[in-house]
Amino acid sequence: MSTIRVRSAASYWLAVPAAAWMLGVVVVPIVLLAWVSLWGGRAFSTASPLTFDNYAKFFANQTYLKLALTTVGHTATLMAVTGVLGYCVAYFLTMKVRSPFWRLALFLAFIIPFWTSTLIRAIAWVPFLGVNGVINQTLMFVGATQSPIEAFLYSRTGITMAQVSLYTMMAAGPVVYMLNSIAPQLREAAMTLKATPLVVFWRIVFPLTLPGVVIGQVLVFLNVMSDFATVATIGGNKHALLSNLVLLFYEGSQIRAASVVAVLLMICMLIGVVIALRVVDIRRLGAER
Amino acid sequence: MDTLAHSVTAAGPAAARPQLDLELRDIRKRYGDFTAVDGISLKVQKGQFVCLLGPSGCGKTTTLRCVAGLEEPDAGDILIGGKEATRDPPWERDIAMMFQDFALFPHMTVAKNVAFGLEMLKKPKAAIAERVQQVLKSFEIASLADRKPGSLSGGQRQRVALARAMITEPRILLLDEPIGALDYSLRETVMLELKLLQQRTGISFIWVTHDQNEAFSLGDLVVVMNHAKIEQQGAPEEILQRPATAFVASFVQGNNVFRGRIVQAADGLLEIETPAGTFLVPGAAWAAGRTVSFSVRAENITDVVGDHHLNRLTARCTAVEYFGAVRRHIFERPDGEVLKYDQFGAHAARIAVGQMAVLGWRPEDTVLHTGVPG
Repeated sequence: MSTIRVRSAASYWLAVPAAAWMLGVVVVPIVLLAWVSLWGGRAFSTASPLTFDNYAKFFANQTYLKLALTTVGHTATLMAVTGVLGYCVAYFLTMKVRSPFWRLALFLAFIIPFWTSTLIRAIAWVPFLGVNGVINQTLMFVGATQSPIEAFLYSRTGITMAQVSLYTMMAAGPVVYMLNSIAPQLREAAMTLKATPLVVFWRIVFPLTLPGVVIGQVLVFLNVMSDFATVATIGGNKHALLSNLVLLFYEGSQIRAASVVAVLLMICMLIGVVIALRVVDIRRLGAER
Repeated sequence: MDTLAHSVTAAGPAAARPQLDLELRDIRKRYGDFTAVDGISLKVQKGQFVCLLGPSGCGKTTTLRCVAGLEEPDAGDILIGGKEATRDPPWERDIAMMFQDFALFPHMTVAKNVAFGLEMLKKPKAAIAERVQQVLKSFEIASLADRKPGSLSGGQRQRVALARAMITEPRILLLDEPIGALDYSLRETVMLELKLLQQRTGISFIWVTHDQNEAFSLGDLVVVMNHAKIEQQGAPEEILQRPATAFVASFVQGNNVFRGRIVQAADGLLEIETPAGTFLVPGAAWAAGRTVSFSVRAENITDVVGDHHLNRLTARCTAVEYFGAVRRHIFERPDGEVLKYDQFGAHAARIAVGQMAVLGWRPEDTVLHTGVPG
């Protein structure tokens, strides 16, 4: 048996299947998308002249711009909520739950919902949030409110609630990994150097888990930005984000407009990832141990 | 490291300190069914260098962690500088600790690591910066100030960890196998440096190790532990020359341990029957029939047997180890155990492997084990 050396011909050949797949399903479609978004004229044809008119139209429309802004704001809210909540969950799982049985049990309880598809999980929120839904009935039962609250379903609040439940685990997962990789002696050393638990967290634990936090935030950011299903199900026709606009244009056969929004969405995501990489060098993860 | 020594003495005048830096009273700690520490009592004088010595799992590290406040004992009292501290959290104790793998903060530079303790004490920024520079210089790590721990060698990390712990000028420095992670060639130099540093600063060191060379060459007080108990504590000479229990005698290098039964006592000598023969051992008039153990050091045995070498046995030499100053002979005792005989000086070998020899030693060179673990 011979081993495969780095940079040998064999190692490149091994990368071919994956590379071909990525080229076919990611790179080529993106290039096509960008191309279509630049098509001028009215005809749906490869002979269309290339122009930035489609983009100009998008930026000239106040409604679209406001929608873009709303999307960014909504995503930021979700990142903040899932970030804090996810960190708490991760910290609780790794630092507070001592018994391996309970750790596994709780971990499974957190991830089992992820065995179903995102769409199903989004739809599953409807009977919870509706006027006669579980939440309203519970609130009325305990006497917190007299009449059902309509703001849950078909509202931004409802969308946020559903998405928080969908994406908190994404924020928590990488933090769990980072927390587990912190040697207990580091916290102990800090304590013997007169650091109180709060200071230990802020000066030692949090900075060491920062890469995990950032990765989690990137995952949440990308998912929320592209999540049209939850918004459509919970938000009904009343609420939309950029990703829904893509669907809307597509269903209206406005392929060029759909491409424009898709490309802009991708640029937004790219910027987000670049910012994240500037905060933490993810590629050097775990190198400083 | 002079500057550090100077400022430490200036910071805490010796007269103001109580006599004991640390007192442990009957410390006990269990983990489920496992007893980690079983009634440890210990007094550490101010400025004393104490070594906790024992095999792994003997409870020495747990004892140290109880002193640090990282473990809470189930019973017993811990007094630091005469003050009750049993339930105090680590950050309220007048101690610092050096961990086996040094536990440097990987996301901070060397300078930040060293400054950490002073920042926790809320010293003014300028004072911290100045002090850190001073300490980095005295520990000869000033050139590493801006490096991260990940890029340092083992010896450099050890210095940084020591500087970080010492900068707060604690009453007691706890060291958990502090040189165990270093290259063998570095250890002796580092040991000497640490001993000198300890003497200059007057800070009490409690050093946990399984290496008896470390314990005996460094400790003012050596505490030998086994099975969660203290077997013997005393000066290195005392433990080397007069082991109190069979465990201590066999754990310490160079002892030959015998177990047997007292046949009779007369004139301050006990006649003890063992599977390897019957021997005379000085000791109090204990009752005949009592099971006892005793030991004789390898260097007190001779193959040039004279009239006063009343204890004798015949054995076959199975190996000879030559260390330069010492030639150690390994014999097989009549009871099947190993007998070690050290011959000093660079003489030519007198006994060859495979040879039978008569070995003898004086009764007064034999040590009866009188201690009980506790």
